[in-house]
Amino acid sequence: MTPPAGEHRPGFYACRSDEIEPGGRVIRELNGRSVGVFNVDGRFYALRNRCPHAGGALCLGPVTGTTLPARDFSFVYGMQGRILRCAWHGWEFEIATGRCLPDPRMRAKTYPVVVEDGAVYVMI
Amino acid sequence: MIIDCDVHNSWNSSQELLPYLPPYWRDVLARGELPGGRDSFPHAHRPWLHPEGFMRTDAIPPGGGTPGSDYELMRTQLLDRYDVEYAILGGDEGIEVSTLANPHLASALARAANDWMVQEWLGRDPRLKGSIVVAPQDPAGAAEEIRRIGEHPDMVQVIVSSGSQRPYGDPFYWPIFQAAAEMGLPVAAHLGGQGGVNANPTGTGPPSYFWEAHALLCETGMGHVASLIAHGVFEKLPELRFLLIECGVAWLPAILWRLDADYKALRKETPWLDRLPSDVAREHIRLTTQPLEQPKDVRHLWSALEAIDGERTLLFATDYPHWDFDDPDRVRIPPAWRDRVLRENARELYRLPPPRAAAPQTQASTS
Repeated sequence: MTPPAGEHRPGFYACRSDEIEPGGRVIRELNGRSVGVFNVDGRFYALRNRCPHAGGALCLGPVTGTTLPARDFSFVYGMQGRILRCAWHGWEFEIATGRCLPDPRMRAKTYPVVVEDGAVYVMI
Repeated sequence: MIIDCDVHNSWNSSQELLPYLPPYWRDVLARGELPGGRDSFPHAHRPWLHPEGFMRTDAIPPGGGTPGSDYELMRTQLLDRYDVEYAILGGDEGIEVSTLANPHLASALARAANDWMVQEWLGRDPRLKGSIVVAPQDPAGAAEEIRRIGEHPDMVQVIVSSGSQRPYGDPFYWPIFQAAAEMGLPVAAHLGGQGGVNANPTGTGPPSYFWEAHALLCETGMGHVASLIAHGVFEKLPELRFLLIECGVAWLPAILWRLDADYKALRKETPWLDRLPSDVAREHIRLTTQPLEQPKDVRHLWSALEAIDGERTLLFATDYPHWDFDDPDRVRIPPAWRDRVLRENARELYRLPPPRAAAPQTQASTS
């Protein structure tokens, strides 16, 4: 059964968990904010759809991997499916934590997510 | 309200140009070899491939297609969102005609791109103004094209790529500047055209990585500024203005300091020049801001901009829909300069009318 849209204590209903395939996302307006909800290998994460770098549409960017630090000059492609690249300038963020890879002083706003009876709630 | 001096409108396929080409070149574009698939535009590609594509991924039209090809999306994401008074459209792939070895093909494609601009874009919205693409490797053809379409009231500048076979002050290119000055149009060099016959995008030979190359391509801007001033193009054509688009800004003071110093010592080489290069630049060279350099301490940027009288020489640009878009609400310009940089410098350069009393109404919003 689909819970009614809108407020759900203590969070906001975003979608049914089966609406987002692993690797997928939905964008929702929740409590006046645009929020991206992502399914990364069966776990759900929510980020504000606003890039802390320049205010771009962070959550409309591609979900990718990236090259891991490699002092031996090799190319090791890792973190597949765990990196969100901002739709504007391509800055990389870790979906699970909001960590900004190019600038550790910066962080994307994340929200806790609760999945209850197949419904995904974002705690804003 | 802003005037955005670098907006990219695209075709989805080069084949959209077929109706605008004369028979022989139409046959070449329809049946001849193309650098990519059937939709690709004839040009030599730069040797660096952007590992993510160079478009804002949220600018892909809802039904698919090339970012910048959908007027409605441009209206939503740019024109309406940022209260754009005018958007100066530069096309997208058109300036890459400068990379082609065949000057006749290059000029034919440029003419077609200009007619496509007029027919497909400029009538849609009074906020849209166009750029006349020319093939710099064909100066006579370029001058003819400037005189042909330069009368169109919504075509406000001539545009070429910053990548070139020679620095633009070279007398080889003078027919282009003469025609532009005659038509009262500024000439803009937009970042691009690095490939094919434009074999020297940087002085060291090609860098390896996209970000490395992209940061260094301002070098072409340095070469053109020095060349135009040294060759006396502005002494010959005192009304002419030259605009660098997307070539960076903060390097200019240092280059002008160096040019001034060396000119003072060796002015006998260029007897037609009787004033300092920095004085010529202040009067005749304009630069668009995007992508504006972003030092940690903004005072460092502002002191660089003050050194080139940025209040009067800088024109704001977003570069929509490309990946290094600058947001007008966030760009760091000295507050006292905002009116001039965001609007009035462009209004002067392009001779645009004073602000309209009411907000512009587009065909789409009134239907």
